[in-house]
Amino acid sequence: MSKNVKRALVFWSGPAFCLVMGVVYLVAARASGQPELGLVLLIIMVVFGGVMVIVSRYSETVRGLLDRRDERITRIDLRATAAAGLALVLAIGAGAVYELSQGRDGTPYTWLALLSAVVYVGAVVVLRIKR
Amino acid sequence: MELEVTGNNVRDLRTAQGLSQAQLAAAMDVSRQTINSIEVGRYTPSLALAVALARHFGSTVEEVFHVEER
Repeated sequence: MSKNVKRALVFWSGPAFCLVMGVVYLVAARASGQPELGLVLLIIMVVFGGVMVIVSRYSETVRGLLDRRDERITRIDLRATAAAGLALVLAIGAGAVYELSQGRDGTPYTWLALLSAVVYVGAVVVLRIKR
Repeated sequence: MELEVTGNNVRDLRTAQGLSQAQLAAAMDVSRQTINSIEVGRYTPSLALAVALARHFGSTVEEVFHVEER
């Protein structure tokens, strides 16, 4: 695979993910009898992916987030992803505590917390072996 | 031994070659913002990028980047 093809694949993987997720939302919503909601979600995902592509022509940061060629922007993306992950973990923890305080079993928050912990430990182990 | 990058000559070397930040960025395959961040000392590049910059200027990494022991 040539360098240019690889770069194009990397660049378009983000917008393609948006499109795929939009279609998945549409299918799931239609299956549950809410086709209008599915259509709205598909449109939101397609518009978001499209806006990213258009803005990437004018913004080095957005272009870097899509094409992954700039190490500094990739590092910024990694830290931003970690911050978003931390916010999610805190929200899951708060949700679990609230559910437990209400006399319920804490689901689905406890399962999500378990998933987060397993993924984190797994990632540390794999990265420790690879690096 | 703990080393710290305290500065660099990227801006001087770039201007000496008559290059703009955008031209150097294109040569290094990074964004212009990244070149600017390196020049002002806000961002310390990876070893690979530091070596690429040094080679581009025909220097060594230590000639381009000022490293001091903490």
